Amino acid sequence: MKLNKDQVKKLSLSAIGFVFLLYVYFTFFLGPLNRSRDGMLLKIKDFQSKLDASKEQMNKAVKLEQHAKTSTGRFAALKALNPEGAPIAWFPPRARAFFANQQVDKVVARLEGSIGFKQAELSGWMKYSWIIDLPQADYGTLGRAIAELENTDPLLSITKLSIHTLPDQPQFQHVDLAAVNIIEKK
Amino acid sequence: MALHLNLLHEEILEQRQRQRDPLKLGMIALVGCGALLFLYYTWNAYRTLEIKSRLTTVERAWKKIEPGVTAAQKRVADLEGVIKTTRTLDDYIDNRFFWAPFLQKVSRCVAPNTQLTNFEGVVLDENKGINVSIEGVAAGREPRSVAEDLRQMLLEQLGQSYSEVKAEFKTLEDLDTIVNVAGTHMATAHYILTVNFNPAAVPKPAESPASARARKQ
Repeated sequence: MKLNKDQVKKLSLSAIGFVFLLYVYFTFFLGPLNRSRDGMLLKIKDFQSKLDASKEQMNKAVKLEQHAKTSTGRFAALKALNPEGAPIAWFPPRARAFFANQQVDKVVARLEGSIGFKQAELSGWMKYSWIIDLPQADYGTLGRAIAELENTDPLLSITKLSIHTLPDQPQFQHVDLAAVNIIEKK
Repeated sequence: MALHLNLLHEEILEQRQRQRDPLKLGMIALVGCGALLFLYYTWNAYRTLEIKSRLTTVERAWKKIEPGVTAAQKRVADLEGVIKTTRTLDDYIDNRFFWAPFLQKVSRCVAPNTQLTNFEGVVLDENKGINVSIEGVAAGREPRSVAEDLRQMLLEQLGQSYSEVKAEFKTLEDLDTIVNVAGTHMATAHYILTVNFNPAAVPKPAESPASARARKQ
């Protein structure tokens, strides 16, 4: 079939129209639709994974709650060892009262300094260094008092101990204790 | 042969030309393709709507449990923090050096004819060890041997509970002073003992299988 000039023109017009139709179809109709569908599928996948993980998370929380009972109890007990307020306000009177109960009088405790911990686990806690001066103590009483202190206050550790005899009172010794107490930051 | 005259020849030709009009055929093809594309679009739109409804359902389910999950995550983080902190604090508590048992051991070593005048004990950084300095006076016929007995007793007593025990004289010198102990006049010596040890207990040697077997028999 031989096409005349007019027919070739019309055919070209049809071809252009077809290409334009395809362009409009893919660019303004099917493309956005597919994009939105893909986006929604991704969202569904994301939510689904979150939902699956959430079940595991809830189970983990329940199991952990059961396993951590001992730890939480112990943690609460350790926290309760130190009263509220600034340590400088309560530690010296407490030390004085403790040693007075152990028949060691005239005890003076003073704060030497405080420092934080390097470990991330103990970021909420501080180390307080104290100097406890016991001007009149006898060796046996001192030993018992220190044993009681070490057993009743697990967050306190004695880092330095010096005992000197008193020339004018041979029945007594002068004792200096350097102690570190771990106290939660308030 | 009969002669046929087609008087409608021109009209038929025109009609055929109209039917074969490329623009018309193109338009028909365009409409056909358009219809197919429309159907395909409709099918896709239907699927998209279905996915949207699924998304809405999942979103609703997530919104329902999200507060619980967030709370659970927070609780897990809190509990893990508490467990780690408690473990670290327990390690710290367990690794403390207890002075009371040490003082008890020292008191067991001191005989009536020795006297302690100064005692200095220090826990080295991070519980690496304990340094103790003991100063005193020993009395006896041989005051130096009395002081040596004290050193030996310290080594023996401390060695039962601690490891790497070292007790050395920093100073040991005779004094001119004569003292009366239980009615007897005795010479005296001044000493300074340096004691170092590791607070960790001495590891017990592992039992050999042969000895265990022998005991069973």
